[in-house]
Amino acid sequence: MTGVLVLLERHAGAIAAASCEAVGVARSIANGGPVVGLLVGPGGAAGATGLGVDRVLLAESPNLDHPSGAQLAVLLAAAADAASSTTIVVPGTARGRDLVGRVAVRWNASAATNVTEVATSGSGALRVTRPVFGGRATEELELPGPRQVLALKPHAFSPPATSPAPTPVEPLALPEGLAKAPALDVRGFQPTVGGKGPELGDASIVVSGGRGVGTPEKFQVVEDLAEAFGAAVGASRAVTDAGWRPASYQVGQTGKAVSPQLYIAVGISGAIQHIVGMVSSRVIVAINSDPQAPIFRVADYGIAGDLFAIVPALTQAVRAARSH
Amino acid sequence: MEIAVLVKPVPDAETRLRPDAKGLALDPEGVKWVLAGYDESAVEQALLLKEAAPGTTVRAISYGPVARAEEVLRSALALGCDAATSLEAPPEAPTDAVSVARALALALTKHPASLVLCGKQAGDDEGGIVGPAVAELLGLPDLGVATNVRWDGGPGGLTMERSVEGGLEQGRTALPALVALQQAWNDPRTAKLPNILKSRKAPIERIPAAEVAAAMAPSAATAPRRLGFRLPPPRTGAKMIEYKTPEEAAEKLVRILREEAKVFP
Ligand SMILES: Cc1cc2nc3c(=O)[nH]c(=O)nc-3n(C[C@H](O)[C@H](O)[C@H](O)COP(=O)(O)OP(=O)(O)OC[C@H]3O[C@@H](n4cnc5c(N)ncnc54)[C@H](O)[C@@H]3O)c2cc1C
Repeated sequence: MTGVLVLLERHAGAIAAASCEAVGVARSIANGGPVVGLLVGPGGAAGATGLGVDRVLLAESPNLDHPSGAQLAVLLAAAADAASSTTIVVPGTARGRDLVGRVAVRWNASAATNVTEVATSGSGALRVTRPVFGGRATEELELPGPRQVLALKPHAFSPPATSPAPTPVEPLALPEGLAKAPALDVRGFQPTVGGKGPELGDASIVVSGGRGVGTPEKFQVVEDLAEAFGAAVGASRAVTDAGWRPASYQVGQTGKAVSPQLYIAVGISGAIQHIVGMVSSRVIVAINSDPQAPIFRVADYGIAGDLFAIVPALTQAVRAARSH
Repeated sequence: MEIAVLVKPVPDAETRLRPDAKGLALDPEGVKWVLAGYDESAVEQALLLKEAAPGTTVRAISYGPVARAEEVLRSALALGCDAATSLEAPPEAPTDAVSVARALALALTKHPASLVLCGKQAGDDEGGIVGPAVAELLGLPDLGVATNVRWDGGPGGLTMERSVEGGLEQGRTALPALVALQQAWNDPRTAKLPNILKSRKAPIERIPAAEVAAAMAPSAATAPRRLGFRLPPPRTGAKMIEYKTPEEAAEKLVRILREEAKVFP
């Protein structure tokens, strides 16, 4: 029997979706063993019930408000030992992924990030699949036992059903090494500009606009569609370079790499530098007036037509569908 | 201040990916090895800090088969780095991230730096493990996905912004520290021809394979074993939606997203 420890990351008081996905993965590789969650920082055990973990270890201390990678690695290793876990799963967030290298060294574990598939194999090893080269290839790795640490690719797994059963919460005795681990000195936080909807890298649906949209004012049609879907808004570099929208919107080789469940490209031609940032999305839809546009070669579904006719109609249809 | 930049040779972005004969890795035949995009941002950051604080020296460090590592080290020198160290890969050339981190930590023990910069990940395996592992091995604080790194001139103050979920975090750390850079936020410079020519003849320190192998040995047992390297089935092209009116196109797409693709509740 192998226990699995999951880091429960909280954003603004709520457990991050990426951590819920990690709980599902932990359950699938635990082979009936316990799945234990680790919660860090002030804020008590808020949000821990219903996640599907068997129990929660709570590492509470006022100076863990902004825990550093070094501190979290110490806590994860201590919690895994306390819970007799042989695998640690961290969410595929920016902070989560940064922990993997530290935990691998400190806990002497085999490590992989960006994992999209995982299965147990004989003698305590895990087999994982992960995209490489911006999703243009995949590699399969065997992570030898007895200890592994994994970060998952966001949206690659579905979160488990929530359970109403109360989750026992126990304090984690703060390990000695914690005092020596350098803390993180956070001086401020500036929420992403302009983003009303979900964060681009986090969203399960992304709607992106390109040069075909024509002007900064008309980019609103893309934003309306995103709002109807509850999606994040992205853009091609043509749009961000022209200053129509801030650089934080850019998807692609020199922008953000996204892999949502659904990516909708509006008025984007499909240059390779854009494609590498979105090709690993599960379903891709393209709307472009040029039926020969290269974007249609990577899309699953295409509509050839004027975006100013199609997109408003689609916004209406999505609103109508969501209100039923 | 002494700055070290960790740089990785990766296949050029134009490379046509092909599995090798065993189907375990990228076929290296004909691949052009270049400085990883994220590492270009790290080199640029090092040079910006150097320009802002005279007396700063920048050393580029790379691990890999000698020809590849020295190729990217020469690129780093041509861009303006002052010195370069090449860690010669042992014959079996381990590539797992923790082993590589141990090799890089060896070079950093020989050349202690108050600031270690690297890319947040490399463009090939996209692991993001090496930087934090180096920090853990050397007992340094580390900050990931950083942009806009600034130094106030003293040992107390390196400030930066980090793009994390939901926004930008403003962070601060004492030195020594390791900072992993976000890609392309700083518009990396390109090398000038005379500097490229000069870099061809510049000396590169080489740490021999035997010494590198000894540093890597402790993580041999945990190194992941490669079972396969695959290309996804070629995308066959979009299924084009036929329609007479925009409303019809919209309704058909919503139905497909719901019933066929199941990405819409
Ligand atoms: C080193 C480097 C890095 C780069 N990094 C990135 C990156 O990270 N991200 C990125 O996106 N790009 C990047 N680029 C730029 C990239 O090469 C393309 O130039 C860019 O992606 C083009 O943006 P676009 O598709 O919006 O514009 P265009 O290529 O101009 O395409 C506009 C499209 O809109 C369509 N269109 C026009 N009018 C309408 C209409 N009324 N209705 C429907 N469709 C219409 C056209 O048919 C056309 O296909 C990079 C380039 C380089 C050299």
